[in-house]
Amino acid sequence: MTDRLRLASLAGFALLMVAGCSSTLTMEMPTIPEPRIEKIPVDVAVRIPEDFQNFVHVEEVLGKDTWTIDLGRSNAMLFTQLFDHMFDSIVVLGPNDDPRDHQFDALIEPSIEGFEFSIPSQSNSEEFAVWIRYRMAVFDSVGNRASSWTVSAYGKSQKEGIGGSDALRRAAILAMRDAAALIIMQMDRVTKIRDLADGPLDPATAEPGTMLAETAEDSEEPENVVGIFAIGGIDDAE
Amino acid sequence: MQNKLLVILLSVALTGCVTSRIEDARETVTGISEGESVVIMAKSYHSGNETESDYITCVEKTLGGGSKGIRVVPNQQFVDALFPWFEPRTAPADTKGLPKLMERPGVAAAVKDMGVRYIVWLDGDTERVAEGGSLSCAAGPGGGGCFGFAWWQNDADYEASIWDLDGFESAGTVSADVSGTSFLPALVVPIPLIARTQTKACKGMAQQLRAFIVQ
Repeated sequence: MTDRLRLASLAGFALLMVAGCSSTLTMEMPTIPEPRIEKIPVDVAVRIPEDFQNFVHVEEVLGKDTWTIDLGRSNAMLFTQLFDHMFDSIVVLGPNDDPRDHQFDALIEPSIEGFEFSIPSQSNSEEFAVWIRYRMAVFDSVGNRASSWTVSAYGKSQKEGIGGSDALRRAAILAMRDAAALIIMQMDRVTKIRDLADGPLDPATAEPGTMLAETAEDSEEPENVVGIFAIGGIDDAE
Repeated sequence: MQNKLLVILLSVALTGCVTSRIEDARETVTGISEGESVVIMAKSYHSGNETESDYITCVEKTLGGGSKGIRVVPNQQFVDALFPWFEPRTAPADTKGLPKLMERPGVAAAVKDMGVRYIVWLDGDTERVAEGGSLSCAAGPGGGGCFGFAWWQNDADYEASIWDLDGFESAGTVSADVSGTSFLPALVVPIPLIARTQTKACKGMAQQLRAFIVQ
């Protein structure tokens, strides 16, 4: 009986040690306030990729904790709310939906290109920071790629209390709001999505290229990239 | 009654040393009418500012508290109501951009609904600038205790820029520079003598802001 008790205590201690070396953070569903903007007169289809339904970032901070950040459906929620506020009408497509079954002027396919974070022990400060890099691929109604645009968002929050889950969660929400603000302010200018309401692009004039939206200086004329609708969805030809 | 007096005397005695300097620089005549309000904002972290969120909350509460309190719109409510124009990346850096911002759909109406007359932008933070001494604690089967002496000095340096939305102009600045040294002597039991530097900077800033705005 004493041996069993000792074994149980050891197992409990080992569990505590393991738990002490990992942090798991689950994002709550973000809410984007209704923006003070005029809607863009375009009927849009938004194709939500698979990883937007269940995005999990796992990273071991060198010599410290392992952080598991579960963004869950928060990105899908963010972009659905955002585009609903930004455009005249939207239809949300799943990863397996065929765009040809729907009527729209433009199709937007957001994706996550990169997710990074820093904790106070790394930055030598009292702050948690999150960087999210989204790519916004914009297609016309027949599948020509009109634009491919990188949105680099950043959020920072100060450490409060023991641990850091709340501060890191706040930093992630701020990064998502930052992305939303950037998209609202620059999307029409960078991707010329408004022009797609007049009809599809001329594929002969389309050229490959990407746009970076980190700063206003980067927001120049978008270059076009040819893409096609593949059976069952969009084929990312890049 | 005697116990209460003892507790008050003890709490006054058991604090560290704090020195403070609160100043203002006025550019225009100010004043606030009934129904008008103030919003307290932190300058953007994109420009390197690190004002703590609890400092902003403290200034909001102190400015709005008491019988002479000014009506303060909560920071988050203001930012949400004007999304996305007061996000860290998009917030105006100076008063020059205000007239154009007010022309955006719904912005002027939202500001009017909240009755915001002044935006106060806070910049600065509280930092530990020096520390020293040594303190060690030990515990055994018969009990435990600490022995030694430690001290640290915090500097709170904040500046508030006040924008008047009536004329879209800068009304002036208020600055709070507070330095506090805390001590922790220990002879078996540690006795913390904490200097509440940030709290002092918050109260000083809020009182001066109230005087500046109300005149």
